[in-house]
Amino acid sequence: MSSLPERVLEEIRELPAKYPQHRSAVMPALDLAQEELGHLTTEAMSEVAAALQLDPGYVEGVATFYTLFHLQPVGRHRFYVCTNLSCMLRGADEVVAHLRKAIGVSEPGEVSKDGLFSYEAVECLGACEYAPMCRLDHLYHYDLTPQKIDALVVARRAPLSAAAKAGRVPSPRKPSAPAAAPPKKPRAPRTKKNA
Amino acid sequence: MPEKSIGPNLPGRAHQRGTVGGPILTEWFATKDLHKLDVYESQGGYTALRKALTEMAPAAITTEIKTSGLRGRGGAGFATGVKWGFIKRDEPGPKYVVVNADESEPGTSKDRYIIENSPHMLLEGIMIAAYAVGANQAWIYIRGEYDEPYRMLREAMAEAREKGYLGRKPLGIDYPLDIQMYRGHGAYICGEETALLESLEGKRAQPRSRPPFPAVKGAWGRPTLLNNVETLATVPWIVNHGAAAYVKFGTEKSPGTRLMSVSGNVRKPGVYEVELGQTFRHVIMELAGGPPEGRKVKVFWPGGSSAPVLPESMLDTKTDMESLAAARSMGGSGGVIVMDDTHCVVRAAYRLLQFYAHESCGKCTPCRVGGDWAVRTYERILAGESSQVELGILERVSDGLQNGRCLCGLGDSAGWVIDSTLRHFREEYEDHALRHECNVGATPTALRATSPQVGRSARA
Ligand SMILES: Cc1cc2nc3c(=O)[nH]c(=O)nc-3n(C[C@H](O)[C@H](O)[C@H](O)COP(=O)(O)O)c2cc1C
Ligand code: SF4
Ligand code: FES
Repeated sequence: MSSLPERVLEEIRELPAKYPQHRSAVMPALDLAQEELGHLTTEAMSEVAAALQLDPGYVEGVATFYTLFHLQPVGRHRFYVCTNLSCMLRGADEVVAHLRKAIGVSEPGEVSKDGLFSYEAVECLGACEYAPMCRLDHLYHYDLTPQKIDALVVARRAPLSAAAKAGRVPSPRKPSAPAAAPPKKPRAPRTKKNA
Repeated sequence: MPEKSIGPNLPGRAHQRGTVGGPILTEWFATKDLHKLDVYESQGGYTALRKALTEMAPAAITTEIKTSGLRGRGGAGFATGVKWGFIKRDEPGPKYVVVNADESEPGTSKDRYIIENSPHMLLEGIMIAAYAVGANQAWIYIRGEYDEPYRMLREAMAEAREKGYLGRKPLGIDYPLDIQMYRGHGAYICGEETALLESLEGKRAQPRSRPPFPAVKGAWGRPTLLNNVETLATVPWIVNHGAAAYVKFGTEKSPGTRLMSVSGNVRKPGVYEVELGQTFRHVIMELAGGPPEGRKVKVFWPGGSSAPVLPESMLDTKTDMESLAAARSMGGSGGVIVMDDTHCVVRAAYRLLQFYAHESCGKCTPCRVGGDWAVRTYERILAGESSQVELGILERVSDGLQNGRCLCGLGDSAGWVIDSTLRHFREEYEDHALRHECNVGATPTALRATSPQVGRSARA
């Protein structure tokens, strides 16, 4: 059974033409797959491989190298909180501690019970003058405080009312991350070191 | 709710944090809507491209850049014009310009600042560079987390295509120019130029051994010019005003200005345009407002986390590359991280070693193994479970990472963090390792009591 709809596979098959060599299409293709499914399943990676005429092991090797590819289920809204030095010096650790409480998880990669949230503690996001900061739903959020974290969380718990207030439509992506609590698994290890 | 987009002049972005209206790079940054093509043109944008394409021979452009003394702003500080000269313009077949917009060096945010303020300035620089080295196609490799800069560049490129700056006949000249973007996916090593090329080719980003250099065999095996965002964004100004005007700024060997992103314990963190040769005292104490009330600067990283640290007593060090080399550090990425006296150097070094260990691509042994060793050693030291032995291990690991024992600069950088913090703050290390206490703050803390703070569950 195919996990990626034909529409996405079609889009993936068109990618290689954009690059001097077809291999370059692998990351944009994995992006499309991840955007569709929330995270990259083994089947999805195989389908990407088939669509690009690459070896499935190769595609998985690429996916596991880069931290923005998720091989485990993630929350529908993912907080990427910078915990590198400049943010740490301005309270990133407290931000992370507060965020955990706010979304009810105890470690990075764990998905909240309602399936809405997960977080990662990440390296410098290149916005150090606004430390502490995070990336959430493809936007940066600056000068974080516990209050700001709460506001971001609350707005996403009640997306419709908040969207109406902020004058924007909710994210078009389907809540494809499992609505029920997914089995708690440790974060997929980056396998770069035994390549 | 800070839900809105963060681009310049867009709702939600209260103000810029940094220089607007500076001498060179930020000259037009005070202009509202500068990211739009017509506004950029109204300031004089794209006149440099016109001049380059219609009045200058490609070799003359490269000569002008050479004469300007511009040096790469990505980290290594290599002479830009010399690098351009390495590309054989007449060699048949495709050649590429690849733009390093991976900006992941801790403490560095200047490339984002440039793109969000003036994406066309970068595009114009890329086009001039492509024309000078004989490339028709450029690729911007931009880190995946930069959603807003990506979107702004995409819009700017669409405008430039519409206007005919990009396309088959830019400005009516028979020289096709195209720019594409490629998004990274979260790996610091992709900033290293050969790892970046591997990634662009759809592979795991492990650095290549050199030679061959990218100028000979770069992207997809073709001659490639690789430059940082800021380097290329400086090019239009030089073409417009001439090298002679550029060298009036800065020092003899480090001419011009550069953007320094100042972060950490300062009152006004931001991205400042600094004339090279100004002191760090000026940058940190004046531009960035110095440390918070009642605190003192303890240490600063002068050029991103990879540049060896300098203690407060060296605040009068100048920002040009020669002065920094004399101080046993480097200009690096221009990211100035300031730490005040309420923070512990050993813990900061530990955090950075976690970073380098996590981001090691694993290709060479000293870096792969040494980073993890260092992290575990720091953990013992910070938990109060150490002796002279641990300090010895740190010294050996640090030595093993440096001086060409690794394939790329990431290994050296990790070594420099250990080496430079030990060199300037030996006593603080000894407090931890030998006396099992941390003397930061009003009263010494016994380390065992605070050990739970040490583990950072995000990385294990
Ligand atoms: C580990 C490592 C990370 C790097 N990261 C970046 C980066 O994020 N951006 C960048 O422009 N250069 C980075 N560099 C430097 C590049 O390898 C290269 O020197 C630079 O992009 C060349 O452009 P320039 O001559 O214009 O500075 C990095 C180097 C190393 C060793
Ligand atoms: S020094 Fe580290 S990051 Fe660089 S190639 Fe070697 S293992 Fe990879
Ligand atoms: S250290 Fe957090 S954004 Fe750079």
